Amino acid sequence: MIEVKGFSFTYPTASRPALADVAFEVAPRELCAVVGGGGAGKSTLAGVVSGTVPHLTGGTAHGVVRVNGRDLAETPLSGLVGEVGLVMQNPFNQISGARFSVREEIAFGLENLGVPREEMAARIDPVLDDLGLTGVRDRSPYELSGGQQQLLAIGSILVMRPTVMVLDEPTSQLDAAGNALVFEALGTLREQGVTVLLIEHRMERLAGAADRVLVLDRGTIVAQGTPGEVLADERLEEWGVAPLRYTVAARHAAARGLWPDRQPLPVTLDAAAEGFGETTDRLARGDRR
Amino acid sequence: MNAVRDTAHATGASGIHRLNPLTKLAFAVTVTVCAFAVVDYRWPLLLFGALLLPAAIGAGVSRRFLLLLATFWVPAAVVLFLIQGFFLPGAHDVIARLGPLELKREGVSFALQTALHILVLMSGFFLLLLTTHAGAFMSALSERKVSPSLVYIVSASLQIVPALNRRATRILHAQQARGQVIHGLRGRARALVPLMGPLILGAFTDVGERAAAMETRGFGATRRPTSLTEVPDSGAQRFLRAAMLLCAVAAVTVNVWGVLR
Repeated sequence: MIEVKGFSFTYPTASRPALADVAFEVAPRELCAVVGGGGAGKSTLAGVVSGTVPHLTGGTAHGVVRVNGRDLAETPLSGLVGEVGLVMQNPFNQISGARFSVREEIAFGLENLGVPREEMAARIDPVLDDLGLTGVRDRSPYELSGGQQQLLAIGSILVMRPTVMVLDEPTSQLDAAGNALVFEALGTLREQGVTVLLIEHRMERLAGAADRVLVLDRGTIVAQGTPGEVLADERLEEWGVAPLRYTVAARHAAARGLWPDRQPLPVTLDAAAEGFGETTDRLARGDRR
Repeated sequence: MNAVRDTAHATGASGIHRLNPLTKLAFAVTVTVCAFAVVDYRWPLLLFGALLLPAAIGAGVSRRFLLLLATFWVPAAVVLFLIQGFFLPGAHDVIARLGPLELKREGVSFALQTALHILVLMSGFFLLLLTTHAGAFMSALSERKVSPSLVYIVSASLQIVPALNRRATRILHAQQARGQVIHGLRGRARALVPLMGPLILGAFTDVGERAAAMETRGFGATRRPTSLTEVPDSGAQRFLRAAMLLCAVAAVTVNVWGVLR
């Protein structure tokens, strides 16, 4: 469980806070997505919840951040290893650079924690399987595609069996295929009961994946709710977030009476297809209300 | 384990492949020290012909072994012969003339001796590289309680060149996509300046992110690390390593005393 209460943070050389009076909770096993424009404080928030901010960055922090009941201000980063995992934007930078195969790379964290060899083998193989990396297990991490490298980064954390995972724009540098692989991996995390905080700017898949969405704007949470409530909010663009095209199309259609009355604005492609299909059927029947 | 393209390791199941990496390291160090111990060009040649080349053949890596030597040792030897043969200070016994340049016997002799020393040194370490998976080597170091930071530095260094190469290629492609034309030697030289900035600055920027990633994977943990890769070892190999170490010490001793000069 993640609890953030009245949290503000300013980087050492900054004049204004990167996060200001942020408060939210993520329940166990919940997948909470965070969206926002550039400079909204999303990566800082990811760092805060994973413990790297301010432990590694320095800076001034006020307020409380608790993960599984542990106050992060009083917990050294080493105390969170294995409990909270962080996956960052650039998969290349998450490769240790010190291991020569995918299997060894996944073992890196377990080795650091002193996990016995037999237990390591028993934990690594299912993770490779779950993430579809078994076929490349003996290849160098540097030989993988961007999507596979990001899966490797996820697997390297997943093998440590964290209860909370923070993913900071894990698809930002990936193509459509890589994007799909990462969202499939998110499904695996959910099946395993991991609490997930997902920072993401591509929203096409968010609605189907997230339980809840937070919107950050200039360091402040300006909206939170279900994906349907938040992603269909008219103010999304004001907060620096590009709304989904089919949501905008449905809004325009609704203004002209061409969207089904009782149907909320769509935030998934399936919902949009259903709504426009209903309208098309109605028009085909000659009903032009 | 399959061959990893980022390192020179060649897959194999020979006895030499199965040896503990530290035994192979001890062998490489010992033959190198022994080669330098005696000032006679036949001695390093004997070490190469009687030990190193047969070992490479026995391990089934002779082709790649000779290819590596052709790539690295031959150019070094040619440069040595040219520089020492023509310009060794104090040499006076001229054996050939090339325009204003004089090739001197002392220079050629010194170059031959040095080139053969380097041949043994390179051969020993190429044999280690070709028959040892880098991961197994790092595990062997970890098992000997070498500091995890040191093991990390060594293993990361082994991969830094291919990693930087990939980054440089990406930067070059991006610059060429924006109209940069790279033709001929001058063009390549001109392209070097705009390449180095993003290459080096980018590498520095990545350090912070990589450090955070390593911390969250327990790199700073105080527990004694374990190792996924099992490295075979035996009493016989431990004895062999001790014997080789004694050989190396003996070689240094006889060299210091000037017994075999």
